[in-house]
Amino acid sequence: MSEPDLNTLLSRVAQGERDALRAVYVRQSTRLFGVAMAILRDRSAAADVVQTSFVRIWQRAAQFDVARGDAAGWLGGIVRHAALDAIRRRGREIPTDDPNLGDGEYAADALTRLETAEDNARLRACLEQLEGRNREGILLAFVHGLSHPQIADRLGEPLGTVKSWIRRGLLSLRACMA
Amino acid sequence: MTNFLSLTGDERDVIAGEYVLGTLDQHSSEQVEAAMARDPNWAAAVAAWEARLGGLVDLAPPEAPPPQLWTEVEAALWPPPAAPARKPSRFWQSWAIGASLAAAALAGLAVMPRQTAPQMQAVLVADANQPAFMAQVDAAGGLQLAAATSAGGVRPNAAEGRSLQLWGLPPGATTPRSLGVLPRDAGIFHVASGQLHAVPDMLILISQEPEGGSPTGLPTGPVVFYGRLVAVPQPGHW
Repeated sequence: MSEPDLNTLLSRVAQGERDALRAVYVRQSTRLFGVAMAILRDRSAAADVVQTSFVRIWQRAAQFDVARGDAAGWLGGIVRHAALDAIRRRGREIPTDDPNLGDGEYAADALTRLETAEDNARLRACLEQLEGRNREGILLAFVHGLSHPQIADRLGEPLGTVKSWIRRGLLSLRACMA
Repeated sequence: MTNFLSLTGDERDVIAGEYVLGTLDQHSSEQVEAAMARDPNWAAAVAAWEARLGGLVDLAPPEAPPPQLWTEVEAALWPPPAAPARKPSRFWQSWAIGASLAAAALAGLAVMPRQTAPQMQAVLVADANQPAFMAQVDAAGGLQLAAATSAGGVRPNAAEGRSLQLWGLPPGATTPRSLGVLPRDAGIFHVASGQLHAVPDMLILISQEPEGGSPTGLPTGPVVFYGRLVAVPQPGHW
């Protein structure tokens, strides 16, 4: 017998099964803590966010649409939005001079990791069609929670330019993935 | 101030995309959430972006959370009731099952000199079910812990720079209580009855901790040995 998949576990969480929530935690907490850490870069703040997220997962599991299905994506979205809320409350005072952020090396490694899933192969191909800095801006925002001014600062470009790049990049991605 | 509800088409879709990307400020993202709650077109636009970009979340390198985080999640969701009524989690139960199997296999094995017949005992095993310690509760309610290999034999030790710490988890309790840090290479370790409060089915656990014991009052390292206290049939009963 294989272990129940995440979709099954989430439907059991929706029915109030505590053991199912624990099983989700055991399986996903390392991944989800990484998602929060990429944005917050502070273990204590990331732990708060993951805790808040598991309370939300418990409360909202019934809203997860098993038929549409991407449980890992749903969990990741909850943690990412909780982390984004946390940095917005702190006025995004997260230091952005971390040399590991947004480097070419990071971006290349990140794109390689995208390749693993079939769905992501498409996303990767579409990201690769974007101009380099445009792609980097989108990854910095999504993965590391950087704001427009922080991205502008990092890329050494005017704020208005960065904003319009990112909007254009989003529309290109939408067209590419349609 | 733009009313987001009035936006349509690409204008709406770009804001929805920026919401999912995370670049909107707090005020704007709250406006998006309000619009999502009132307008299914907004909710659909955001869901479509989550589906398109969601895979990017796995670009974040995985990292192990602090070991006590699950306990904190549980405490936030299900605060312990005033009266002790909680079932121990499966996590503890699985140890108890393994430990009682080992105890059954070793029933009757005498490994420790005793002054009085033990009332309860536990065989502490590692995951491989190799008995490592014998814990016995004496008539006075105190606990004696000795290596299971031979009376006063060489005890399994913690790794260099770490300590082994003894814990008790009574049935119904959700967090174990420290019974002391084991001194390195000592013979028999004794826990006073006032500290032990032995009850049948209590789990006895040994975790590996930073030198000198857990800094938090709860196990922080791996549980390396565990066993369950079971009543020992007294000679007068047969």
